[in-house]
Amino acid sequence: MFLLPGFTGVMLFYLFPFFEVVRRSFVKSGNNAFVGTDNYRTVFTNSAFLLAVRNTLLYMAVGVPLLMGISLMLSLLLRGLALRRKLVSAMLLPMAVPAAVMVLTLQILIDRQGVVNGVLTKVSEQITALPAFAAIDYLNTEWALAVVVCSFLWKNTGYMVILWLAGLSALPKEVEEAAQVDGANRWQSWHYIIRPGLSGSFFTIGMLSVLQIFKSYREVWMVAGSYPQEHIYFLQHLLQNWYLKLEFDRMAALTVILSLVLLCVCLLLQKRLEAG
Amino acid sequence: MRKKKRAWFATAICAAAAALICAPLLMIPGGSLMDSAEMRRILAPILGEGSGFAVWHLIPLYPTIGHFYRLLIESPAFYRLFWNTVGMTAAILLGQLVVGLPSAWAFATFRFRGRDFLFGLYVVLMLLPFQVMLLPQYIVLQKLQMYNHPAAVVLPAIFSTFPVFIMYRGFTQIDGEILEAARLDGAGEWQIFLQIGLPLGKMGIQAAIVLSFLEYWNLVEQPMAFLEEQAMWPLSLYLPQIDISQAGFAFAVAVMVLIPALFVFALGQDALEEGIAYIGVKQ
Repeated sequence: MFLLPGFTGVMLFYLFPFFEVVRRSFVKSGNNAFVGTDNYRTVFTNSAFLLAVRNTLLYMAVGVPLLMGISLMLSLLLRGLALRRKLVSAMLLPMAVPAAVMVLTLQILIDRQGVVNGVLTKVSEQITALPAFAAIDYLNTEWALAVVVCSFLWKNTGYMVILWLAGLSALPKEVEEAAQVDGANRWQSWHYIIRPGLSGSFFTIGMLSVLQIFKSYREVWMVAGSYPQEHIYFLQHLLQNWYLKLEFDRMAALTVILSLVLLCVCLLLQKRLEAG
Repeated sequence: MRKKKRAWFATAICAAAAALICAPLLMIPGGSLMDSAEMRRILAPILGEGSGFAVWHLIPLYPTIGHFYRLLIESPAFYRLFWNTVGMTAAILLGQLVVGLPSAWAFATFRFRGRDFLFGLYVVLMLLPFQVMLLPQYIVLQKLQMYNHPAAVVLPAIFSTFPVFIMYRGFTQIDGEILEAARLDGAGEWQIFLQIGLPLGKMGIQAAIVLSFLEYWNLVEQPMAFLEEQAMWPLSLYLPQIDISQAGFAFAVAVMVLIPALFVFALGQDALEEGIAYIGVKQ
């Protein structure tokens, strides 16, 4: 009936091959011999894997709270403004900008001898109170993570602002107004009314932010290539590079590990999405 | 009075944030019209031909349409890549509608056994990053002998579950009583779908189209993994290959990539915002 053609395709291109990968993660390619958890052990003892896990976690720990905090603050400010729609559109613009275009401008801005360093040097020369500024090689030092986080924020802030605004608009207006009449200040109405009312949104937006971290590989790869500075070597690089080197045994194991982790995130999130 | 002041203040902060977000894009039009010599001079430090720092001219001193001339008149390869992108995006969008619309309709209106489980599966699939599906899709594409063929990018994308979810959300906005009334009047299920569902679920459909367009116009990982021949690549993968020493030319390509995306963005803005809100809010 209605669902059949679509579901056949999903089976063919997503489900069936995924289970094939699960099977392959327990065998040796070539002779198809069952090797138990050997492939998994190779992954867990791989130094690149450990590095990538550490980096991905750090990226998440920095990127997710920053994204949630900035976008929540902006949406609280935006609420009820006359220019709200225009401003939200402007913040959403990065969604329309192909990654390749963004990367082109980034190359000019953040090179060691690029525009950003140039401006910072000028500023520190003008204002003598500031210490002298030494040019930073953003992509080849630990600053690389900052670049990645900034591009993540740039790309996703508008998206999250819309989600927050949708959550905010679902709150009953009357309660807040009543509280204001009763003399509650801004902080009190945030603490007692808005924040508890948004607890669902906090959860949903948090999970979506985590998933966006994993979807932000495209920009990172374009800026820094397949073997970037070691602070921004993420799990996606590892998968991509093993793919290019035809290391399919390990790749199968890593695919299974990563999808199990993400599956947990999704299932948590889903409970909420499905309630709708 | 105090309230007004506060609104001004909030507007100023948000406007500053919005301006910061949009600022890098201001480099693009100027860059595409900048004479090569000027570009070479201001970017010399980046190109390794000088000390100090690169600067940027938002408005070029010696504007030229030379890069566009070279791109549009002298580079036949550009058209092939451009039409690759257009063709892939169009095929994917069309396929997603043909396959996805009935699926979304089924999830929104029918209660069948296993519906909740299946729907959950669709949601999980839409949230997973591409890298997780890289090996699985490679295996199936090899089996179907589609590797290194545009279909390797197009077919999996057609069955992406994301547009199904968005369109589903659009359909759930429809009042169930209308459908019930139509059924009582003897309308068939297909008739209801085509004559009531499609017009009333328009917002969700538009949102899915806009979101998909922006995603597939910008394809990078899939063609990189599944298409070996450059002749099949989309523009979004060709652009990063242009060396920074040819920045003016690269900016001209960037303009051509950006125009259709901005066009769709401007046209479909309401739908886009609606669609994003669908993702997060429970109803």
